[in-house]
Amino acid sequence: MEKVFTIKKLNLKYGEKTALLDINMDIPKNEITALIGPSGCGKSTLLRTLNRMNDLIENCHVKGDIKYEGNDIFSKDFDVIDLRTNVGMVFQKPNPFPMSIFDNVAYGPRCQGVKDKKILQETVIQALKNAALYDEVRDRLKESAKELSGGQQQRLCIARAIAMRPDVILMDEPTSALDPIATAKIEDLILELKQKYTIVIVTHNMQQAARISDNTAFLLMGELIEYDKTDKIFSNPAKAKTEEYITGRFG
Amino acid sequence: MKSKRYVKDKLTQLLISLVSLVGLIILVAVFFYVFSNGSSLLSWNLITGDYNSNVFNGYYSTEITTNDFAAPSSLSDEEYFSTRWGISFMDDEDTEGHHIIMITYVDIDSPLANIPDKNDETATISISSGQKLMTVRFSDNTMLLPSNGAEKANQLFDTKTSIADIMVSTSGKGIRGSLITTLYLVIMTLVIALPIGVFTAIYLHEFAPKKNKFVNVLRRLIEMLTGVPSIIFGLLGAAVFIPIVSSLTGADTGNLISGSLTLAVIILPVIISSTEETLKTIPDEYRQASLALGANRNQTTFKIILKSAIPGILSAVLLSVGRIIGESAALIYAIGTSIKDEIIITERSTSLAVHIWSVMSGEVPNFELACAISIIILIVVLVLNLSVKFIVRKIAY
Ligand SMILES: Nc1ncnc2c1ncn2[C@@H]1O[C@H](COP(=O)(O)OP(=O)(O)O)[C@@H](O)[C@H]1O
Ligand SMILES: [Mg+2]
Repeated sequence: MEKVFTIKKLNLKYGEKTALLDINMDIPKNEITALIGPSGCGKSTLLRTLNRMNDLIENCHVKGDIKYEGNDIFSKDFDVIDLRTNVGMVFQKPNPFPMSIFDNVAYGPRCQGVKDKKILQETVIQALKNAALYDEVRDRLKESAKELSGGQQQRLCIARAIAMRPDVILMDEPTSALDPIATAKIEDLILELKQKYTIVIVTHNMQQAARISDNTAFLLMGELIEYDKTDKIFSNPAKAKTEEYITGRFG
Repeated sequence: MKSKRYVKDKLTQLLISLVSLVGLIILVAVFFYVFSNGSSLLSWNLITGDYNSNVFNGYYSTEITTNDFAAPSSLSDEEYFSTRWGISFMDDEDTEGHHIIMITYVDIDSPLANIPDKNDETATISISSGQKLMTVRFSDNTMLLPSNGAEKANQLFDTKTSIADIMVSTSGKGIRGSLITTLYLVIMTLVIALPIGVFTAIYLHEFAPKKNKFVNVLRRLIEMLTGVPSIIFGLLGAAVFIPIVSSLTGADTGNLISGSLTLAVIILPVIISSTEETLKTIPDEYRQASLALGANRNQTTFKIILKSAIPGILSAVLLSVGRIIGESAALIYAIGTSIKDEIIITERSTSLAVHIWSVMSGEVPNFELACAISIIILIVVLVLNLSVKFIVRKIAY
């Protein structure tokens, strides 16, 4: 199976505090990989290392090795902007920019230097369609994105990431701020997106992980306890800790 | 117990309402005072007129005995028209409250439209509407003074046949020069201070290392500058900016450029701190989202951060404009107090606030004129305020 990310001996510290310890895992292409575990176990940290968003945190030190499509993402001549255009990210709280719906989606391509109005128009509409939002906003593309509902805002953020034509989309608890109906819509969308994109999703909702993911990684206090096919993890976990967690005995 | 708390609550509320009522009353009283004193002087002439008056002195020796001129149809009840000379007069008061005779109309064929200049044999002067009549001595030595009034003036003009000496002056005491100076100051100061202030704030908040001693000292210093009395900046302007501007432009006194530089230093801390406050309110999620979309730091700063900060920056601009318009102490040193009609940026002139100061510091303080100028300042501030609100509404999502 083709692998998008290969993670080897990844260690991460915030100052003196270890947040990730000796993580080894591969992320397969065009599948949904879920990261689960109790809060504070390092799920977001691991996700943010994949597009090097941790670079922004001043006292964050990373050791080890991550290869994206065979290239070492920590090497000196690796272009982090290139990485982030290929690896999109959707955050926990919907965070559209305070501008129009259209400008939100067009932001990424514009930053890459796309100026042609027609290309932008097509890109934006295609991205909105792929994010299952176009029908709801087709008449108000020029209106503020802040006027959308929470679920719509999150789908807009997905559209914004899709507009970059990435290979991977990282999602950090994308439904935790949403109501059940909006959550269901996003879950459907994620399953849809799987055709074209590799998705890594952090979730604290185990039903969600079971419903949508192909692989599940269980983290505990910065360590990768178990990583396997989702079916296997939820029906017959190898480790006692994993079983305790998914049956709700802690976390 | 509950009722005691209720009473206390109500009493506090009452106290707060009373205090705010007092504030409101004081504000309203100030406005009322300014408007009731100043509105009578407020006129288009005051706003657009020259400050300095020019005096013209001429004569007309050819005898005229006909009364052929027809009064213009636009003549009002208060105007007196001389059918002999084709000129009309009206009683008025100048900005200092003295009685004057205004010339309100001169027929194009009137002999007075073009008469020899008493001081220069080769020149002619033209008497026209808007000028005021100072003295007239007719050929039979009858004198006419402003205190005689318009009706008497008309009576004399209609009966006398030639004029040995006529003196008129343009009205003067207008504030156009000071108004233009003020607008120049606002624009030049903002052009200097706004980019520097905004970029300093962006550097401090977005780019400077977070726990850097130097940056913290800088920030503390800027905060301190906000509280420095402006007269000290005026001294700085006189001691530093005037010599610098002089050596660069050849100006030899305080001037508009040194004034703007001084004002820029005064408003810089305000712009920096309020822009930084605005930047603090911009959620970090925007920065993260932008960077995660492959934008670099400059793109994030200019397309997202700066754009979201515009409403905040504009309100900083408003505060600053208020400060610029209201500033007088610093400007007395930095540009001087001479009221001018022709505004040249390398020369002295006076802002409206300093104009008020000079009107009030004469031998007889002129409250009415000060109030009239205050009304104009209030209107300028109001217009700026509304336009900024309008812009913010246009661009903000
Ligand atoms: N910016 C940061 N600075 C210092 N410590 C952090 C930072 N972000 C996260 N941590 C710490 O790292 C650990 C893992 O955090 P995180 O990855 O956010 O966990 P999760 O997403 O699984 O809840 C936590 O103990 C958290 O306190
Ligand atoms: Mg998290």
